Amino acid sequence: MLRLSLAIARKDLVLTLVRGNGLVQALLLGLLLLFVFSLAQAPGEKVGPQAAAAMFWLASAFSQVLIFNRLYDVEEANGARLGLALLPAPVQGVWLGKLAAGLVLLLLAQAVFLPAALVFLGQDLVAHPFTGLAILALVDAGMCALGSLLGALAQGQSGRESLLGVVLFPLLTPLLLAGIGVGAQCLGAPAPDGPAAWLRLAAAFDAVFLGVGLVLFGFIYPGED
Amino acid sequence: MPKLLALAGGAALAGCQWLVWCYAPEEATLGLMQKIFYVHLPLAWWALISFFVVFLGSLAVLARRSEAADRLCAAAAEVGVLFSGLTLLTGMIWARRSWGVWWTWDPRLSTALVMWFIYAAYLLLRGLDMAPERRRTVCAVVGVAAFLDVPLVFVSARIWRSIHPAVFASRGGGLEPEMKLTAVACVAAMGLFWAALVWLRKRQLDLAARLEAADADED
Repeated sequence: MLRLSLAIARKDLVLTLVRGNGLVQALLLGLLLLFVFSLAQAPGEKVGPQAAAAMFWLASAFSQVLIFNRLYDVEEANGARLGLALLPAPVQGVWLGKLAAGLVLLLLAQAVFLPAALVFLGQDLVAHPFTGLAILALVDAGMCALGSLLGALAQGQSGRESLLGVVLFPLLTPLLLAGIGVGAQCLGAPAPDGPAAWLRLAAAFDAVFLGVGLVLFGFIYPGED
Repeated sequence: MPKLLALAGGAALAGCQWLVWCYAPEEATLGLMQKIFYVHLPLAWWALISFFVVFLGSLAVLARRSEAADRLCAAAAEVGVLFSGLTLLTGMIWARRSWGVWWTWDPRLSTALVMWFIYAAYLLLRGLDMAPERRRTVCAVVGVAAFLDVPLVFVSARIWRSIHPAVFASRGGGLEPEMKLTAVACVAAMGLFWAALVWLRKRQLDLAARLEAADADED
């Protein structure tokens, strides 16, 4: 299964990064969101750390929708999806491969969003670099686990971007709250209780939805047109 | 049976009005406005139970490909979204009197809203133009994922800190005994009404499925 996942992740990354437009679209949407949100502040006024963290994670969430739609769209041509579904390997390998490819693409997008958020929203990374990296990894893993599961759900549907967003965003709420809570602390918001509770919550979310994805993907990945 | 349940639920809810207005004491700070709590709390609980039924039904759909369980999920989700929408509305009226605003981003309120969004999206999925079997499977997967998300939403709400009153607090605070008895009676009465609604809606969906099957046989 791991070999299948690695092969799918490599194939998707090559196709997405070589053609470019899949990631560029997600990057542009995220940057645009950050820019538009930055207009909410009056000239000379500084956005609070919590608002800045929220904007960063919203940009990431919208990009994630585009990324997973793109990743599942790759197999729509020439019946390639049926080929994958018929492979003599657990179909969960497809879910894991898409998850891994989505995670890499999301991290690439966030490597652009983070400096953009710091610049556009006038923020400084003041503390907790390791905590920031830990929450980034945990939140991204959870987002991609759920994104990879629900991306298959929207596959082949008309208006799948909006459909995926409508289903995905409410489910991601606890994870986004964790990302915003710890992100705000990294940008200097006071936090008497520290980030431990949020890190535990994000880890629990990851555990639940990695398990859910592994168990339920087989039901949802369509082996027919 | 659903008619009996509806009658019993209606009668029980009417009987609860006596408890609400004559038996339960008036709350010192909020006055009569506090009485909305006896509608708000049962709606919230039965909305949550509706979503639990969707979860159990979804498991049955995945395990046994049961069409009847799928229709039960549809009925429970519709009633759950209705009840959680009414929970939000009654909560907003409470919030206006208690906190001075119609809406505040209190985490528990936000949680109720998030649940409403999740199950409204679930109903949206049910309305999509898909092959029936695929729709059943997709909705069942979302039904399972959605309910597993609910505890995480609650925990995240608690970490974010709530100004929502603790109704059945284990130590201190909470309700007077008369208020607690009235609240429990209202929850039970609303349960009968909820069961009637879900049952009726499920029966409607069963009949619609039979009609569709008969049409398909004729064609």
